[in-house]
Amino acid sequence: MLTTPPEVETMLAESAEPSAGFWFESWRRFRKRKLAVVALTFVVALTAIAATAPLIAGTRPIVTRYKGELYFPALWYYNRSWENPIFNKDRFRANYIASLQAKDPESWAIWPLVYQDPYRRVRGDLVWPDTPENPANGPPSRYNWFGTNSQGFDVFASMVHGAQTAVSVGFVSMSIAAAIGITLGALAGYFGGWIDTIISRIIEVVMCIPSLVLILALVALLDRVTNFHLMVIVGCTGWTGIARLTRAEFMKLKQLEFVSAARAMGAGSTRIMFTHILRNSLAPVLVPITFGIADAILIESGLSFLGFGASPPNPSWGTLLAAGRNSIEQTWWLIVFPGAAIFLTVLAYNLIGEGLQEATDPRLRQDAH
Amino acid sequence: MPASSPLRSLLLLLPTCSLLWLTSGCSSKPAAAPAEKPAAADSAEASAATEAPSAEPAATTEGGGEKSATTEAPVEKVANLDPKAPFELGNALEKFAPPTLEELDKMKWNDGRIADGMTLLREEKASEPAPTVTAEEALKLRNDSPENNAKILAALGVLQPEGGQGVDYEAKMVRHAGGDLNSTNPLFSSSVTDGEFADLTGLAIMSFDRQLKNFAPKDVVVSWQTSEDGLVDRFVLRDDITWSDGKPFTAYDVEFTFKLIMSDHALLVIPAIRGSGTDQIKAIKAYDDHTVVIFHKEALATNITNINFPILPKHVYEKSVAEDPSLKRSAYHTEQEAKPVTAGAYEYVSRKRGEEFVVRRRESYYMHDGKQVRDKPNFAEVRVKTIEDLNTALLALKSGDIQQMELRAEQWAGQTNGDDFYAKNTKVTAPEWTEFHIEWNQRTADGKSPSPLFGDSRVRWAMTYAFDYDELINTITHGLYQQGQGTFHPTAWMFPKNPPELMKQNLDKAEDLLEEAGWTDSDGDGIRDKEINGQIVPFEFQLMTSQTETGIQTATLMKECLEQIGVIANVKPTEFVVMQDKLLKHEFDACLGGWGAGTDPSMQSNIYGTGAQRNYGQYSNPKVDKLFEQGLRELDPAKRAEIYGAIHLQLWEDQPVTWLFYRNAFFGFNKSLRGYNFGALGPFKYNPGFTSLFVPAATP
Repeated sequence: MLTTPPEVETMLAESAEPSAGFWFESWRRFRKRKLAVVALTFVVALTAIAATAPLIAGTRPIVTRYKGELYFPALWYYNRSWENPIFNKDRFRANYIASLQAKDPESWAIWPLVYQDPYRRVRGDLVWPDTPENPANGPPSRYNWFGTNSQGFDVFASMVHGAQTAVSVGFVSMSIAAAIGITLGALAGYFGGWIDTIISRIIEVVMCIPSLVLILALVALLDRVTNFHLMVIVGCTGWTGIARLTRAEFMKLKQLEFVSAARAMGAGSTRIMFTHILRNSLAPVLVPITFGIADAILIESGLSFLGFGASPPNPSWGTLLAAGRNSIEQTWWLIVFPGAAIFLTVLAYNLIGEGLQEATDPRLRQDAH
Repeated sequence: MPASSPLRSLLLLLPTCSLLWLTSGCSSKPAAAPAEKPAAADSAEASAATEAPSAEPAATTEGGGEKSATTEAPVEKVANLDPKAPFELGNALEKFAPPTLEELDKMKWNDGRIADGMTLLREEKASEPAPTVTAEEALKLRNDSPENNAKILAALGVLQPEGGQGVDYEAKMVRHAGGDLNSTNPLFSSSVTDGEFADLTGLAIMSFDRQLKNFAPKDVVVSWQTSEDGLVDRFVLRDDITWSDGKPFTAYDVEFTFKLIMSDHALLVIPAIRGSGTDQIKAIKAYDDHTVVIFHKEALATNITNINFPILPKHVYEKSVAEDPSLKRSAYHTEQEAKPVTAGAYEYVSRKRGEEFVVRRRESYYMHDGKQVRDKPNFAEVRVKTIEDLNTALLALKSGDIQQMELRAEQWAGQTNGDDFYAKNTKVTAPEWTEFHIEWNQRTADGKSPSPLFGDSRVRWAMTYAFDYDELINTITHGLYQQGQGTFHPTAWMFPKNPPELMKQNLDKAEDLLEEAGWTDSDGDGIRDKEINGQIVPFEFQLMTSQTETGIQTATLMKECLEQIGVIANVKPTEFVVMQDKLLKHEFDACLGGWGAGTDPSMQSNIYGTGAQRNYGQYSNPKVDKLFEQGLRELDPAKRAEIYGAIHLQLWEDQPVTWLFYRNAFFGFNKSLRGYNFGALGPFKYNPGFTSLFVPAATP
């Protein structure tokens, strides 16, 4: 069983409250690491930005009242079929600013914070009244905070929507990896024997498959590559480390007394595995997951950079970087902003991972002994 | 339909302009032969205008350079697959008994056009308005507007004074090539650089001018006659031409080279040339040293463009080819490769593999028996440097290490505007006869039934109306290209008198057409659909494009436009070889691509003729087929122009493709150079082409 350090024990004793759980303890120790907390804040903020991207930057109103009804056209950015068909029927052509006014002067709309679009150049009658069109390769200005690319797409809008890609790639692919890795690792570690042999061999086989090659093959096969495909592949190939760690934890923990006790009380294998052992082995498993998220983000950016990412237009940070590659002397904003975003995000996940590791692993704890 | 259609496919919307051009010869040859192979440089730069080889499928091997077409070879071919079989000259030809010279004399003959390329260009330029600025003033200008471009082009395009005063004949010139020279033997030429070498050192009996109109060059030919039935061409060659080893250049060399090209042997691999039209010639016979007669299979308008093969010295190869049919392996042939015997204005000096080759002016070309018989070539030495990376090449141009290079559109727009470029160079652009389009596949991959999407011309028109041309021209192509107006270029002689109007985006019309064709959003998911065989099919398709920036951006723009009218296009950047394969198998919905002009408009029948090899979109219109047939057989130029004009208009009406833009040629030239003029295929690929460049004597 994990031991709590004497200092904490005294503290707990003094507080005279019921002893805090393992996770609470870990969280407390995690909070003491400033960098890790800043990183966590960054990731939470990034996730919030990603989740609300269409509300931050877009050319479709968040809410509009049109012909007496309320609509939410910005939902289009999440899923194109969530845009009400009435706008198609009325031939809005994705141009709300001009069409709303022309077709229903009574209408009103709440617009996103920044009226810019990651999928097109704001031009012609799409522009916000009294503002200029987007220039191609325009430097940062009050209208285009992070400049524009060679097609005149706003870099800020692309980055905000690109955050969705970065965040979702990390989370989804590692969720898949964790689900596979923890299940298989748990089975192998708990049952041992031939199950362990088979699963261990599977792990070795999967470790030999380079995910990059699989992704390239998939990109060649599919008509329309989406980020989801990339996530699935990264997830399906990235679970081996997690599985090995889980297996080792299970092997260690299943020898302990509380497992024998549970078994003596008649608990079934599933119950022992997932309610007793897993809870105690989760901490070391979280660490590779966190690092894995950083890896997945790097893989996605790298693929987009090389042009093997999701089908264009794909507002990903890697795509933006690739666009800046050819004219690095002229368009620094295409390199600096997405480059910084990738760097900071990956760094944040690594810092969180490190913080987690030190907060949960008693051997690494600075206040131990 | 001719088996070989020399068209340059520019499937990649690509900015690299190192257009590959063939091989077979001097600028005085019809360029744009069919098989062009990715030169090393081009493959680096997205294997630019590489070509799917010649028209016979069997004649192609991807990537490695095309083997010569052997599909139509006669029976002996089988025996010749044995590498040890004796070499038999001209065994791929059918037996033919040529008439005697007397019989030929009895035929009725029409005189062909004999001209001097320089004189033609001079006459043409005389009718143009005089330049408004001097060359010195023009060199101070920045090429940042169409007006300045016109001024610079006019001022620096001024030709050297007649008689050759004012030319610095001691000048040496350094050119740029995107790939290495593969072989000094023009028969084996397969890349741009090989073409440039053949251009500098070779000689040809047919040439074409800036508008790709054919003529026989005065420097080589005394008289050219075509028989009234159009089946025979008779050339009388000049008697003052010599090879670089001093031996006379004769009609027998022409006959020998033709037979050599038309020989099948397992060891003799001649890429590209045979399929570029040479195999359409029935026979060639030299009657004496200067009279050579060409017999054609049929009386076609393309007969003269078929006479476009390079010429080898008979006295050098006649015996050795029997000993070593590969023309490459024996010690003797290795020696020839290192010291080729040539007949052109420049002769080979040296080469460094992967770096450069050097040619120098050949005195025996323009002097004969102590008299000057031809114009003196303008450069004492021409060095062609191979720099594969175009950014490195641009640096070399800026520093003056090379004096000329073809720029990519991005380089033109972004990297050549500063003092570092203008210190030693200037740049010019001019339209080329190269169009880009989105091709719509009208039938299913097996060709059995019309495609539910693009089988209907209303749908294709809807696509054409939906596209935002302003955005394409002004933003994506930086305002450098001209909007497309159909398959032929507006400056071409076959362009119709009453051309179609320039398209403007009209989404209302596009939506109306789609609704007319039955595509409506019946289930309210924002995507148009149609019930086909009891199933609701959404209007969603794959738009294939090359992996170049311009290609992807254009495709993305199309996607954005179609999105607005409820049509989903999925952009699919595809690697060149895969794309080529899918196109040939018709396994695509829509694809961005381009075609460069062939030397004759009849070659387009290979793109739009029913069932033709390059008819990727499976377009078929009997009317167009018939017009192509007529165009091929009509020998009167004015009537031909009318026929091809009619084809142009019919194609426009049917919209098998949505025409986007014509690509320009972009070139950077050192300030010391003068006399460059652009033709349909750029500044060099016509007669005089490179020959007209010079360095003025007074240049500082």
